[in-house]
Amino acid sequence: MDVDLDEGEAVLHLENVCRVFDAFSVPNSLNPLHPLGLVSGFLKSLRIQWKGITKKLSFSNGKTFKGDFIENSATIAVTVRTPHTKPPFTPTPQDGFQFVADPASTVSNFAQIGHESNGALFS
Amino acid sequence: MNDEKSISWKKLQENWLTRRNLIRGAAGTAAGAGLLLGSGLRLAARADDDDDEGRETCALALPQPHTTAGPFGPLHFYFPGPIDGSAAATDATGTHPEGRDPSTITNFEGFVGQVDLTFSGTGMDTKSGATAPYKFHTDTRFMKGLFIGSDERTRRGAFAFI
Repeated sequence: MDVDLDEGEAVLHLENVCRVFDAFSVPNSLNPLHPLGLVSGFLKSLRIQWKGITKKLSFSNGKTFKGDFIENSATIAVTVRTPHTKPPFTPTPQDGFQFVADPASTVSNFAQIGHESNGALFS
Repeated sequence: MNDEKSISWKKLQENWLTRRNLIRGAAGTAAGAGLLLGSGLRLAARADDDDDEGRETCALALPQPHTTAGPFGPLHFYFPGPIDGSAAATDATGTHPEGRDPSTITNFEGFVGQVDLTFSGTGMDTKSGATAPYKFHTDTRFMKGLFIGSDERTRRGAFAFI
């Protein structure tokens, strides 16, 4: 993770992360029973890059949260893989899955970077 | 769960299909599940710090106290949007006069990055080799800095919410 607030730039870059779960869908992830199963995934690479300065915002609620933020835009490049699975990890046997994102397709609905303090470290 | 929050979750769930169903049929929209990767506890543990002996793996970062109603219980985060809590297309739960803290952990001071992105790519069944275009929607964040963990000690670390 690298951040340069003056330039409005940041990068989140992860590689070869295997200690992640793939729950297949968000509802299945949120359901504590995970009816579709819950298996180990492999995040081969993830790179999110923030760029530009669209708007600068400073905010404090005076009690629990304050920060100085830059709204901008971002792109994502990600390659992930889930191995084939079988019961009891999934209700039925499933083939493996791989997804490779096209960074050029990214639509940035919202992006921001900043510096903040909250909770007991609010000051 | 109030109406605004119900609408928000309903809207999101309309777009949440399982990937494996999709690969059997036509391309569509899917979404990955959320998770929190934390390196802070490991980074904070120092081999030469005698005071840490036996304690370095016992602490966790504490969750953001704000909750958003989810289908199976409260979720500790704000949807993405401006930090001043003003209305945002990415947050159907409305405005937040107390501010919209993007961090998913509390007792934190440091850098934060947040995105709400829609993107596409190629999904592949690794057994058959069949491919199909996929569209994903992600809320990904990082937090890097100081935090006070569940053991009430201050640590330095980095977290990613994917």
